Amino acid sequence: MENHQVSELNSNVVDKILNKDHCKEEKDSNDTAVKLANMQKAYATILTGLGENVDREGLMRTPLRAAKAMQFLTKGYEETAQAILNDAVFDENHEEMVIVKDIDLFSLCEHHLVPFFGKAHVAYLPNKKVVGLSKLARIVEIFSRRLQVQERLTKQIAEAISEVLEPAGVAVVIEASHMCMVMRGVQKMNASTVTSVVLGQFRDDHKCREEFLHLIRN
Amino acid sequence: MEHTQYTKEEPDSGDVTNGHFDGMVKRPGGGRAAQAPGAESGAQRAQSSVMENWRGERTRSVEDNEMSLPSLAAAYTTILRGLGEDPQRQGLLKTPWRAATAMQFFTKGYQEKIIDVLNDAIFDEDHDEMVIVKDIDMFSMCEHHLVPIFGKVHIGYLPNKRVLGLSKLARIVEIYSRRLQVQERLTKQIAVAITEALQPTGVGVVIEATHMCMVMRGVQKMNSKTITSTMLGVFREDPKTRDEFLTLIRS
Repeated sequence: MENHQVSELNSNVVDKILNKDHCKEEKDSNDTAVKLANMQKAYATILTGLGENVDREGLMRTPLRAAKAMQFLTKGYEETAQAILNDAVFDENHEEMVIVKDIDLFSLCEHHLVPFFGKAHVAYLPNKKVVGLSKLARIVEIFSRRLQVQERLTKQIAEAISEVLEPAGVAVVIEASHMCMVMRGVQKMNASTVTSVVLGQFRDDHKCREEFLHLIRN
Repeated sequence: MEHTQYTKEEPDSGDVTNGHFDGMVKRPGGGRAAQAPGAESGAQRAQSSVMENWRGERTRSVEDNEMSLPSLAAAYTTILRGLGEDPQRQGLLKTPWRAATAMQFFTKGYQEKIIDVLNDAIFDEDHDEMVIVKDIDMFSMCEHHLVPIFGKVHIGYLPNKRVLGLSKLARIVEIYSRRLQVQERLTKQIAVAITEALQPTGVGVVIEATHMCMVMRGVQKMNSKTITSTMLGVFREDPKTRDEFLTLIRS
């Protein structure tokens, strides 16, 4: 009798542990669903507040689409550089500059919730460790798919590469066009914002920096 | 390219097309505005739904903007929270207000009427050769995803003794593009507005635009462009005129 009770107790404990994980997953997905529903309502309020009719055919599912679009455009919050990079770091006896340039970049201005987009150029000087090239583009994706300020975005990309690879130097240049400046406000169509962050040898050695800037111009 | 027949369409009952309300204007505060003077009869309604707000009431006013700003800002705060951000952090503190004001700016076309813009700038001129204004920068909002669309508009018309101030063509583009739009409808609205204003021999409108909803999300094709056109009058009937217009906007 006692053994049976003990084994029942054990299986209850095991069940509880498994259920707890299962419950957490359920809770997370419930949270996501609740958040999506709240955002949908918010978008419906916005459409009405702008003077539109939410019941007309073109707008009927717009709150849902807009909420999902916004979630996609900020999916970077759920990703970390460590998770993306850690599997693709290789030991390689290479110490020359590696550049990945013209990485298309799309982000959202955190001040106006309006897109800004452009190109990122990323370079690093390996210190016996190289990274899979697409991972540099993925780091740009992680940090750009958030509510951002271009200065911070540039810095975050540079620091992420620096932390994971510990290279001799990192340089990141971003040139982007901000719709908040083009479509509204000062309305300058052709203005482009350029920000850069240089770390390590790129900062200390100006010839190294020059070589990088020259190579991304071509 | 297929060009749909331009006819006066029968309206759907209780239909709202792109901000034009049949009859009553809905105010965000819940009250209802007075009916437009000379309340529309059925026949007039058929006309007005085609002409959008050429003659009708504005669907939004500056006062409406002020009144709806707090609820828009609250909605944006909800969205920020829904995305997992902290609305209290320094960079986001005033974002709901800025985003709401920005969105009102992007849809300011609802506050404007063609008749305000054009009334003074129609001139009698003995000119019946093609007039083209091309490369008009256009910024609109996709009504399906609330994400920007931008591109260029090219407009050509053959005057019939009446010409329009050139900047007014660009202003017509502004009024219709600063709304929640679908590119096909935008093209047609611009063409119809010019036709109603001037009664020209023909009008051609071509829009080439990039849709951020296709570039930044979804299918993510960076370099794709969408081109739509509306040809009315002699631009539709005479292929040579149309060719001339299309060649001139290409060069």
